[in-house]
Amino acid sequence: MLRRFTAGRSIARRLAQGQAQPARLFSTSQPRKADITLTVDGKEVTVPQGTALIQACEAAGAAVPRFCYHDRLAIAGNCRMCLVEVERSPKPVASCAMPAMPGSKVFTNTPLVHKAREGVMEFLLANHPLDCPICDQGGECDLQDQSMRYGSDRTRFHEITGKRAVENKDLGPIVKTSMNRCIQCTRCVRFANDVAGVEELGTTGRGNDLQIGMYIEKTMDSEMSGNIIDLCPVGALTSKPYAFQARPWELKKTESIDVLDAVGSNIRVDSRGVQVMRIQPKINDEINEEWINDKTRYAYDGLKYQRLTTPLVREGDRFVPASWEHAMDTIRHGLQSSGAKGDEIKAVAGHTADTESLVALKDFINRLGSENLTLDQSLGDAPPVTGVDVRSNYLFNTGIENVGEADAVLLIGTNPRHEAAIINTRFRKSYLQTGAEFGLIGEDFDSVFEYDHVGTSPSDVEAFLSGKAVKGKGKGENDFARIWKEAKKPLIVVGSAVVEGKDGAAVLKAISKHVLANEKKFVTPEWNGFSILQRAASRAAAYDAGFTPSPTSTNTTPKFVYLLNADEIDPSTIPENAFVVYQGHHGDLGAQFADVCLPGAAYTEKSSTWVNTEGRSQLGRVAVVPPGASREDWKIIRALSEIVGSPIPYDDIIQLRQRMWDISPTLVRYDVIEKPSLEFIKLGLQLLSTPPSTTKAASTTPFKKPINDFYRTDAISRASVTMAACSKAFTKKEYDIASVDEAGSAQASYA
Amino acid sequence: MSLLPRYLIRSRPSIPSPSLSFRNRMLHTSRPLQAETRGPVDPPPAPAGAAPHTAIMDVVAGLAEGPVVPVEDASVVAAEVVSGAPHELQLRQVRIFKPTKSTMQSAKGKTKRWVLDWDVLQGAGRWENPLMGWASSADYMQGTTLGFRSKEAAISFAERQGWDYIVSEPKVAKIPPKNYANNYVHVPGKLRIHHTK
Repeated sequence: MLRRFTAGRSIARRLAQGQAQPARLFSTSQPRKADITLTVDGKEVTVPQGTALIQACEAAGAAVPRFCYHDRLAIAGNCRMCLVEVERSPKPVASCAMPAMPGSKVFTNTPLVHKAREGVMEFLLANHPLDCPICDQGGECDLQDQSMRYGSDRTRFHEITGKRAVENKDLGPIVKTSMNRCIQCTRCVRFANDVAGVEELGTTGRGNDLQIGMYIEKTMDSEMSGNIIDLCPVGALTSKPYAFQARPWELKKTESIDVLDAVGSNIRVDSRGVQVMRIQPKINDEINEEWINDKTRYAYDGLKYQRLTTPLVREGDRFVPASWEHAMDTIRHGLQSSGAKGDEIKAVAGHTADTESLVALKDFINRLGSENLTLDQSLGDAPPVTGVDVRSNYLFNTGIENVGEADAVLLIGTNPRHEAAIINTRFRKSYLQTGAEFGLIGEDFDSVFEYDHVGTSPSDVEAFLSGKAVKGKGKGENDFARIWKEAKKPLIVVGSAVVEGKDGAAVLKAISKHVLANEKKFVTPEWNGFSILQRAASRAAAYDAGFTPSPTSTNTTPKFVYLLNADEIDPSTIPENAFVVYQGHHGDLGAQFADVCLPGAAYTEKSSTWVNTEGRSQLGRVAVVPPGASREDWKIIRALSEIVGSPIPYDDIIQLRQRMWDISPTLVRYDVIEKPSLEFIKLGLQLLSTPPSTTKAASTTPFKKPINDFYRTDAISRASVTMAACSKAFTKKEYDIASVDEAGSAQASYA
Repeated sequence: MSLLPRYLIRSRPSIPSPSLSFRNRMLHTSRPLQAETRGPVDPPPAPAGAAPHTAIMDVVAGLAEGPVVPVEDASVVAAEVVSGAPHELQLRQVRIFKPTKSTMQSAKGKTKRWVLDWDVLQGAGRWENPLMGWASSADYMQGTTLGFRSKEAAISFAERQGWDYIVSEPKVAKIPPKNYANNYVHVPGKLRIHHTK
């Protein structure tokens, strides 16, 4: 039997070997507690001391229904649904608020337990509207499911006044409320306070009159607000953009990777037919735990608008739809007639270019004799100051999972809230739970943790790290300098904008010198406290693949420009008479300059590799097919290379991944982080600490935030209507709180 | 008895022809063929010793187990030869994964089994049907998923079918021990959050 794809299996085997290696060497900060043993439903189970009883029941494989308890939130213990029977206990106990005791005998499936849960359910349903057929939670509702098991089949509720009626709240363009349905589990309150940092969301009143809200009429201004929709066990908080769009059982679920920031959040793309209906988080404790930010969750409607669906060829001042053959032929003519030779052929890779197409484009351009491979960032035409030889010089070496272990964090020229919202939630967690201290050198931002603003400019970085007082800072404010000196696990987070800026080399020099001088604290087998925070999904992969210009190509004036998803380009870098090809999925900025547009696939439409800011490569998956005549990106480049006359030597995705393996095995060793040796990390830092002699001294120009509008950072989110509404409401603060109960007068009450 | 082919009544290891041993194994399971493909599929049974004599008519009637034929290595049993599946199926990669828990609900339904499914076929995956606006497809595998009790079962099934596969390992949730008393723990230093609700 002939088999074409034997190569694929060998990759699978290599990957399996890669995963067999010891996963990580980091020590945990929590001391190991003694284990205790108890019996749940006749089954012995051993759990660490201090575990909640509900966790012990789960460990024993007993399902305990719950509404208020959530694995990733603080324990509230107010829904009483998780009642279990414990031997020699006079009453059923709430298993979430009860610690597991050694030797106790727990029963989760006895008549007493059933009766108790039935009673709780009856109280919850007494004030819950019977609107499941028109409720968006229907089909994925905890209350609905559990009432099937524990609910009574007839009501004893005969109040003349009817059910409790609660006014709806307008929380902004994302969260839709229907507060009649609220069962007051307070999951949203705990999430908003502990994780998202919106301390205004809370409760008023007691008992039957308890209400969830913002206390005054205001929106819930957080980039993580969409998660409270997931957390809500009933339909009180549902999604406004998804309202009445689909039912969960109609959706095809595809587990994939998000590309709207460099965190690489794991997502589940729910699609129906040819359309993405919603995006949900996929649980991955190494990256995004159970959360995703609102841009990841709601920018999907941008995939419907402004799409390039057919090749376009510029004729005069307008684009004319063309066939693929015609478009490719036009490019061949354009390349010939432009007379571009060598480095005059330039490629620019954008924020959402996938790794496969980066590798294919690099091979293609190199075959044409050019080294002019650039990125669409400021100074993207020049070789990056971090270099690409040492991986730890441009990655988030600490690892997303481990940032919570840092006791002092120095943020340099970055706003983690907008550049990596998921990492920001980890910072808030460590701020609250382990007492981490934060310092910032750069532009102020609206933070969810308190920080000490110790400087604004590159020269302040030098001053602070060399222990000098930063100009304009009083003594009281410089507390962080003392904390920084005493820190056991310090962490420096350098924003990608700093590295891309003109002071990048000088700042990195100061930082790497400081890190090397304190290497016992910064670079140990367990801890690496020097991290660069990338903000674009394709950057780490571009550096890994060596998609960077050679020093000589920087000063060449290009005659042929190939834009791969490049929408953040500076228009002045494209010469007037150059022949420009744009390949991408949206008609955004880059397409405006193009002579030929080639329609590619967006991230939900191609199975491609993404490398996140910590250097973890992950494989996305196709959820829906690309619209119209658009094609997978690497295939476009492969076809073009053949038409231009220098075909790149791979015909299918497996051969291309072999090529990626040849370039860097990390690109196809999915889901694991390759940790370099300490010697290698230090070698990289030494390279950074000795930049070329032409490097200028650090200036006093303040750092600027690279992201001014979190909701509109790339072609997809700029095309999204939801993101436009969020930008208006949260960035520009122009949002009229609507009276959600339009009728304004009496609501229907059904007894 | 003489109507039946000889290899069906053989109770010893037969010549190691892939198709032959496959059929014998099917006989051994004495289950209808559909059950093999529909439900969760287990790895092939471990080699057993020689089976006692069984009347072949009982086997045909489903009243007795068929003769046991040891299968030394499951990977040599190439089901693709006899499955009748179109040859194109050999050219597509399948993915084996454990579905993630839905974040919309607390319960962990549908997360325990391993799923094998096919990537969306570029170009023929789906399109909107102009008649009703529903989705049409030219890909006969687009609605198919196979469930397995273990990863090994899924891999062994894919290997026997001759499919290339990628395995996505599930991520283990790391939930620290949780304690209600943590709400009231005194943290020295400045109060960082006001738990008032």
